[in-house]
Amino acid sequence: MNNCCSGLQSLTREQVMNLALAVGKLLLKNGAETSRVEDSMTRLCYHFGIYDLNVFVTPTVIIFGDETSEGKSLVCRIRTRSVNLTVLSKINNFTYNLCSWSQGYEATMDYLNTMLEEKPPYNKWLLCFASAVSSACFAQVLGGNDHDFVAAFITGGVAMVVLKLLGGYRPSAFWENVLAGAAIGATALGCCAMSRQCTMEAITVGALMPFLPGLAFTNGLRDYMAGDLISGNCRVSEAVMFALSITIGLAGVLVMWWHWGWQLWR
Amino acid sequence: MFLHFFFSFIATAAFGVLFQAPKRTLAMCGLVGAIGWCIYKYLGTNLEYSSFYANFAATVALSVFAELFARVAKEPATIFIATGVIPLVPGLGLYKGMNMIIGSNYDQGVTILITAATDSMAIALGVMMVASILRVLHVRKLKKLI
Repeated sequence: MNNCCSGLQSLTREQVMNLALAVGKLLLKNGAETSRVEDSMTRLCYHFGIYDLNVFVTPTVIIFGDETSEGKSLVCRIRTRSVNLTVLSKINNFTYNLCSWSQGYEATMDYLNTMLEEKPPYNKWLLCFASAVSSACFAQVLGGNDHDFVAAFITGGVAMVVLKLLGGYRPSAFWENVLAGAAIGATALGCCAMSRQCTMEAITVGALMPFLPGLAFTNGLRDYMAGDLISGNCRVSEAVMFALSITIGLAGVLVMWWHWGWQLWR
Repeated sequence: MFLHFFFSFIATAAFGVLFQAPKRTLAMCGLVGAIGWCIYKYLGTNLEYSSFYANFAATVALSVFAELFARVAKEPATIFIATGVIPLVPGLGLYKGMNMIIGSNYDQGVTILITAATDSMAIALGVMMVASILRVLHVRKLKKLI
């Protein structure tokens, strides 16, 4: 119950619902698990003494309302999702410190809405650099030599740069992954042509790491175990689709090389 | 083993940047990932455990550290777990399996895919086990206070 001195006192039911929906939207857009979103939203409602609201969250939609026919219900469709752990951390601080929150309702809604449009803490060139570094390190860890280290650094960086440059055209997730796979394949082939000590497998394995949906797959299984069957289905099939698309991109380039490029090279 | 620790540390910290983790948590993310990977590597290659048990043990150790760092840094544990699990997660298995299936090597492809599925099940089990044990302990502590 709201028995502590807080800036958010005496909210109406609609205001609580708006607040909870804003929090849920932020969490889901920035890559939280569905069970976590449901948990945060219900906890927020409990805090204000509202116990009869139901939340249903899948990776693409939030449905939020009560069981009576007079009650209001809110629906929010989520179209784009990315991972931004900084926002998750901020929201976590907000929901845990509700008791000592000093701002009023309007200011809080403003705070949440600006967070929706806020730029992430790292810009895209830094992301490309991080992708290059992690590709290189994974190539080394998974059994490559020093040449592979350099080649995977270049390949991972180039793939991410291509992805970010094409991001302005808003490709669907499938095409995005196909293009990333194709960029990795082409750059890795180029590196292998440059140096004889590069091994194709180590380079591609390292450079693929930032794009592979292993985490999505594991999160899907976690959703299954927590009992969220629909979001588990969504995430697992999404992960399988992404793996398929990135493989199509990479394999397409390699097949083209073996069929036509190899003879030109000779 | 030291090289493994070093490279997986850097790789996981770079993944923290990719996931837009707050700046002051990056080093801890890297440490969590490196611990998980080294335990996995040690159990998997030196002691020759099967990959399910190696993944499970590594994830349990990793999530204990993640929960510890979450208490220290006052951040949600998801930050450390989502980045720390990255070296273990079988994205590569998914890719290799799909590659085999596209090349119509169905037997090997399906084998690799199923291994990937069981591995990620081990990881999910490990994460959830630590989280639920901690939740039970937390509830008991609260009850004692009341």
